[in-house]
Amino acid sequence: MSRIAVYGKGGIGKSTISANLSVSLARQGLRVVQIGCDPKHDSTRLLMHGAPQRTVLDYIRDMSPVDYRLSDVLGRGYLGIGCVEAGGPQPGVGCAGRGIISTFELLNRFKFDSDCDAVIYDVLGDVVCGGFAVPIRREYADTILIVTSGEFMALYAANNILRGIETFDGDRCRIAGIVQNCRDVEGEDERVRRFAAAVGLPIFAKIPRSDAFTRAEHERMTVMEMLADGEGAGSGHEDARLLELFDSMARRLAEGCELHAPHPLSDSDLEAVVLGGGAPRASSGETVEHPSSNLAMDHSILPKSTASGYLSKNVIYREPLHGCAFNGAMTTAVHLTDAVLVAHAPKSCAYISIQNITSSGRRTLFERGTLLPRSLLPSVECTEMGQPEMVFGGWEKLESTVKRIKGEGPKAIVAISACPAGIIGDDTGKIAELSEDGLPVIAVQTDGNMTGDFQQGVFAASIAIARALIDRERPKAPKSVDIIGEKAVVTNSQSNYELIAGYLERMGIDIACRFLYDTTIEDVRNFATASLVLPAYTDFTAQTIMSFFRDEYGMEVFDRAFPIGFDETCEWLRQIGGRFDAREVAEEIIAQSADAYAEAVEELRPSLTGKRLMVFTYNCELDWLLKTALDCGMEIVKICLVDYSQDMGFRTRLDVDLPVEMGYDPSKRAADIEELKPDVVLANYTAPNSSSTYVSDVIPMCPDVGFGSGLALAQRWARRLDTARRGLWEQDEQIYRDRYSR
Amino acid sequence: MSRYIETVTPDSLSGAIFAMEGVERAIVLLNGPTGCKYYHSAISDNQLIRQSDFDPLKYPFTWYFGQPRVPCTYVDNDDYVYGGEEKLVAALEFLRDNISFDFIAIVNSPGMSLIGDDIAGIAGRVLGDRPHLAIETPGFSQDVCQGHELAALALLRSIGFDDSVQVVPKRVNILGMSLSQIHHYGDVLEIRRLLEGCGLEVGCALCAGSSLDDIRSIPSAAANIVIYPEFGIETARCLEERFGTPTYVCDGPPIGFAATERMLEGICELAGGSPEAMLEESRTARARAFAFISRVNSISGMPNGVTYAMEGCCSELCSYMEALTGYLGMTLTGATVLNPQTSQWYPLLSQMVAEYGFPEALSVEAGEAQADIVLGSGNTIAALKAQRRVFVGIETSLPTIGYYDLVPKTFLGISGTMQLLECVINALPF
Repeated sequence: MSRIAVYGKGGIGKSTISANLSVSLARQGLRVVQIGCDPKHDSTRLLMHGAPQRTVLDYIRDMSPVDYRLSDVLGRGYLGIGCVEAGGPQPGVGCAGRGIISTFELLNRFKFDSDCDAVIYDVLGDVVCGGFAVPIRREYADTILIVTSGEFMALYAANNILRGIETFDGDRCRIAGIVQNCRDVEGEDERVRRFAAAVGLPIFAKIPRSDAFTRAEHERMTVMEMLADGEGAGSGHEDARLLELFDSMARRLAEGCELHAPHPLSDSDLEAVVLGGGAPRASSGETVEHPSSNLAMDHSILPKSTASGYLSKNVIYREPLHGCAFNGAMTTAVHLTDAVLVAHAPKSCAYISIQNITSSGRRTLFERGTLLPRSLLPSVECTEMGQPEMVFGGWEKLESTVKRIKGEGPKAIVAISACPAGIIGDDTGKIAELSEDGLPVIAVQTDGNMTGDFQQGVFAASIAIARALIDRERPKAPKSVDIIGEKAVVTNSQSNYELIAGYLERMGIDIACRFLYDTTIEDVRNFATASLVLPAYTDFTAQTIMSFFRDEYGMEVFDRAFPIGFDETCEWLRQIGGRFDAREVAEEIIAQSADAYAEAVEELRPSLTGKRLMVFTYNCELDWLLKTALDCGMEIVKICLVDYSQDMGFRTRLDVDLPVEMGYDPSKRAADIEELKPDVVLANYTAPNSSSTYVSDVIPMCPDVGFGSGLALAQRWARRLDTARRGLWEQDEQIYRDRYSR
Repeated sequence: MSRYIETVTPDSLSGAIFAMEGVERAIVLLNGPTGCKYYHSAISDNQLIRQSDFDPLKYPFTWYFGQPRVPCTYVDNDDYVYGGEEKLVAALEFLRDNISFDFIAIVNSPGMSLIGDDIAGIAGRVLGDRPHLAIETPGFSQDVCQGHELAALALLRSIGFDDSVQVVPKRVNILGMSLSQIHHYGDVLEIRRLLEGCGLEVGCALCAGSSLDDIRSIPSAAANIVIYPEFGIETARCLEERFGTPTYVCDGPPIGFAATERMLEGICELAGGSPEAMLEESRTARARAFAFISRVNSISGMPNGVTYAMEGCCSELCSYMEALTGYLGMTLTGATVLNPQTSQWYPLLSQMVAEYGFPEALSVEAGEAQADIVLGSGNTIAALKAQRRVFVGIETSLPTIGYYDLVPKTFLGISGTMQLLECVINALPF
């Protein structure tokens, strides 16, 4: 069977040549199918005598997959030639390349070529993307014709097509040659000849400019049909030549002609060849510096006037993206309790995000019977982008979904887009135009990971929601704070908040807004009434959100995170107490805990004094733990800080020299332990430890806040060191490896 | 409650990835962003364990991102625009040169399947004749079972079968089981146990833990059995067409004594096994179950009339209904079908609901129904708990609320039926 792909610049005559070639092949007794791969869907129009043809992509969009039938999309034209049109979206929307992929998937499912002898693929213009390259992939076309005229742009497209073929084939030979479709422009023959020679291809056929094509088109038929049937045929030699020309092409293709490898030219060589020899015109010799080359990746100079001005660490440093912005935005925005989230995405994206959102809620319910409503009852709906949306665009589905939800009476709608929506060009941002008084529609156009990682999505959602809802005009409440930067997926966020809220309440301080954790729209509107913003963390995520509120709302932001460990908590309470004229209450709270802390430290010192502590961690803030270790008389022999996608830079307020190694290479761990001989090894993740030389324990990524955090861990090390008790399970690692690992 | 349950369910991407993760010593390379990988790696390794701890430093960072399964090419915006070949080649070369495997499946994420990279061609160039498979379009928002079958069929097409292989009497292949099913490991163990107890030999459990060699031996089976029909019926048809292997298709997964006994008799008749020993085991189990049910019934009148609601794939719901209503006499008050696009079993479900006398139950979602017992995912059960609803939840689909099953659990077969009955009896409100 012959499978022939006809490529060339748009408007160069591919469809006319393809259709006439199909007729010639059919005249030789072959069973032929022609597939038009152009959204204009006019490839087979002349074969079908102008009869409308249902496109494959319209069919996929309109029909249930269980009802698909090949006969619904395979028309029968002149001489029984099978006619298929891929079709595609309207210009400017959707993804036509994806449409070609979908068409071929459906045709393959039907085994459409099982009873034919030749297939002609008539393919849109240039190889503009992977979708349009599908027919030249090996499994579809075994012969390629490249149609061009002598015009520069046509030859430029031809050369690009050769590049596309080279991408797939390397030196493999599949090109029959160049079909010169004459436009009768000056020097045409010579230019085409030079190009063909330069790329090492023969001119497979030269099709003269002829009014026979116009006459045939007027009759809604191919030239071959018109001439063969004699109707409308002009007199003479020219028509006979055309007839013979297409028959000859068909014969050679059917019988198997010599095929050639692609050898595309560089742009400068192409210009030299096509424009008549000589080297490309030299530049003036002046170097024009690209404006972007002066842009350092410095956070401080990036524009702050748009959401994209607040960039995640991964994005700034062009690191591999951890997670996707869609998920970060979903996980953040779901905490707007009276809003409905619309995930403009395939189900898989929304499903994965839901698992992330619910994970902490399920865990806390299971462990402690605690109910976290926002985690357990996310108000999320998905537009379920399917094949039709991928091809024709998903805007209508997003719009209809949002309009329907508006009728259900939510207080706000937040629409968040996944990768496919971004790739096909859906303008999710436009959905904000559906906002009404009292019903904001907030667009968070994350486009999956196209705008960045999980952290970037946290920023995008936070900023979009803040800008849409915060009311700057509300009067300030002097003894009121906002809380920002709580982590949505951490299991102790709520218990940490409750502890801090208890301290604040005792000091007579109100909380205007938790941004964003279990937060109502009214809470967000109140945000600017607070006189101070308290960050739950001061990691990179929180710092970025802090600078947003400083920059855009002029808010005063406290520079300490929720306090972890004894000293931090004392300091935090004293500063907050001072700021809000509640020093005495703060000291009362401290006094109630101070004796207990000192007593606990004294109890630990016999076990821990002189013991050597080594830490492997992603945590950039460890004072809460190091201070307690130092209070207990431990020696810190090394802190090994492993690179972390969400934070950077070790931070300490301790007035001691700490042996910190940044950017630690984890493969050195065993050797360093051997050399430094620690008694206690801490890490964020621990593994079975068959060594009897040290105790290993885990540092939580997000510790509990308050006075007792460091103590709780130190008490565990002391118990382990005192008893030297090690579970026998740790000796079974080899048994496990024999049965499970590979 | 219902807002996300209907529109946010696992889809064909998960189905395809889990199908390929079910091949022993396979690597599933996700050609996509990291955001699509974390969940699939976590679930795959919970279902078929390969790691002993969660230390992310133990796995190559660049491709595995701290997890033991589903390495990915971490594509970003540039790759969507310029194509992802460079990263895909680098990932494949890394895996080829550093990781021990029998088979690589490359699965495009939804985004990457839009841009048309020739991942099959690229894989062929890098991997040469090492077994591999490229799934360019795992589907967009299609049911999870469609993704499973799409991948299973693609896998079969990629295998060079020996058509002259001799059929081995009493050898049976298991089809239609997926890592996406909550008790996958225990399910496979139980089905294997039952078949072997009937004197049958299990050839290949396709995408359910079998090796590439097992898959190559598929033509040697005397029969195929499809456990979850939505996950295996197309595959069975393909094998029947290609090798002439007859198939026993369970109406739904064998949940409950009646369904299990039907399955045992059906497959034994087709493959030449002897079901008597397993049927006797079933009768023994029924006797023990009877004692407990009868005792509870004697003091409470239950389980007759106790209400329940359920969510799941269509055929699965048929099976649960047969067990809970047909066997225990319980009353169905709501049901949510999670595979609306592939619910060929919906007519059977409707018929059963009508015959049992609860025709209205199918119009009430599981989460909205008044029910003493709810069979569903951990998400659904937790969501109902958050609404302060009074009921007992039985987890029948992923995700779980958080319980670690060291003892393999199943609701299939004889052991699974006893497990289900145990859950139900302990959930009765008396």
